[in-house]
Amino acid sequence: MTETIILVLVVVTALAFDFTNGFHDTGNAMATSIATGALKPKVAVALSAVLNLVGAFLSIEVAKTVAKVVKIQYTKDVKDSAGTVIHHSGEPLPLFNTAGGHHLLITIVFAGLVGGIIWNLLTWLLGLPSSSSHALFGGLIGAAIAGLGFSSGVDWTLVLSSIVVPAFLSPIIALLIASVGTYLVYRITQKVPDRRREKGFRWGQIGSASLVSLAHGTGDAQKTMGVIFLALVAHGTLTGTDGIPIWVKLACALAIAFGTYLGGWRVIRTLGKGLVEISSPQGMAAESASAAVILTSSHLGLALSTTHVATGSILGTGVGRKGATVRWNVAGRMAAGWLVTLPVAAVVGAVCWFIADLLRGPADGLLGVGVVFAMLVAVSTAIWVRSRRAPVHAGNVNAEWDDKQLAPPVETANLRSRTKSSV
Amino acid sequence: MSTILTSIAPAWKVLLVGLLLGAGLPALFAVGMRLQSVGLSADGSPNESVNPGIGARVGAIACFAIVLLVVAAAIVVLAGSKAFLARFGLS
Repeated sequence: MTETIILVLVVVTALAFDFTNGFHDTGNAMATSIATGALKPKVAVALSAVLNLVGAFLSIEVAKTVAKVVKIQYTKDVKDSAGTVIHHSGEPLPLFNTAGGHHLLITIVFAGLVGGIIWNLLTWLLGLPSSSSHALFGGLIGAAIAGLGFSSGVDWTLVLSSIVVPAFLSPIIALLIASVGTYLVYRITQKVPDRRREKGFRWGQIGSASLVSLAHGTGDAQKTMGVIFLALVAHGTLTGTDGIPIWVKLACALAIAFGTYLGGWRVIRTLGKGLVEISSPQGMAAESASAAVILTSSHLGLALSTTHVATGSILGTGVGRKGATVRWNVAGRMAAGWLVTLPVAAVVGAVCWFIADLLRGPADGLLGVGVVFAMLVAVSTAIWVRSRRAPVHAGNVNAEWDDKQLAPPVETANLRSRTKSSV
Repeated sequence: MSTILTSIAPAWKVLLVGLLLGAGLPALFAVGMRLQSVGLSADGSPNESVNPGIGARVGAIACFAIVLLVVAAAIVVLAGSKAFLARFGLS
């Protein structure tokens, strides 16, 4: 019974993460279309939500490995000498088959999710676009360090090569591509009448932004499907060889789509208005660059963060257009946020694991998991209440960046002064 | 160190393909728009002294068509688990 309750809590938490993943990342695809007025804010988020939903179903093969950087699962099929598969990719490692092992695995996943959610909500409150995948990986890494040990829980070489290095490279690559695209587009359409150009590129912008939304759905909803699958395997409902149940796919697709539809207006605002004053040719160049980078890299098996790519692209449109102002101070704040995403989510993940473990109680562990869940609810509510003090919504998302009533509350004052001093 | 170098290697491919598609397609779209507005004066009204001609119109449509086709192909790649591509004999 308690095991089932824990499983339900973990599944709910995973879907909650998926939800925050959706509304945190709406801006990556739609911020530029909203900022240029190519789409009305509500229409943009609705379109993005539908495309995320479609995207979540589009990819037929769902990766069962949650994160290869934490050593909790087989990351590929293991064969014996006769060539028969003895361990399937996605199956938990044998150490979790010992007494209490399943609970250990499920608490690691749970604590990791909580770390990811809290960081996603915090950065949303600050209007800071940051990578949801990094938040999840960070949370899992922290929980794995706490639960399994520093080197026995985490593959650090892989952290460096599959997370840290791409995080530095992807915004730069996107920036280069988007700046070249912007430069070319303005160069070629120099003689096209302004209004006609603005109108024509809106279509291009909507198309390219849709592609980014679709790509987001295929990539990000899968991550949560993998997490829930792992929880089900740890619980014993499924084995590593089973397919991912349809209700898991459906629930994840709906959670990310619903999150996207709510729209992370605070993040959308920063991306669309905070970095560069964007026009529709720039918007199309940005989204095309993002789509190209995300699709190419995922085809090559590189997992890049949509957020890093989208931010790099938007900055690139400012670099590529003559006379455009890029607010590098805002970009710098984002980059700082990216640097701390992984460590902070890791610390939260580790702390959650320790609390869950400390309060494990006699045997079943429900108390600890329950307490951490209650903390998650409390922190989320507090962040939401705080956000109400200076709400950002469809109606004011495009207001001037320096507007007094707007922008992330805590940051407004010093952000404004910094923006002014730099102009 | 070598692991890091190996992880950087595919970045070049991403950059090259990205430039080709991510910057090339908007540029092609721009060419289409440019061709479409042959014969318009700066304020958007038709300029009688320039004859747009059938060539410009066909060129514009061709540009937009290529952009659409490439995007459609991209979606296939996106959905492209190998099984999906194999169904069309593409892998």
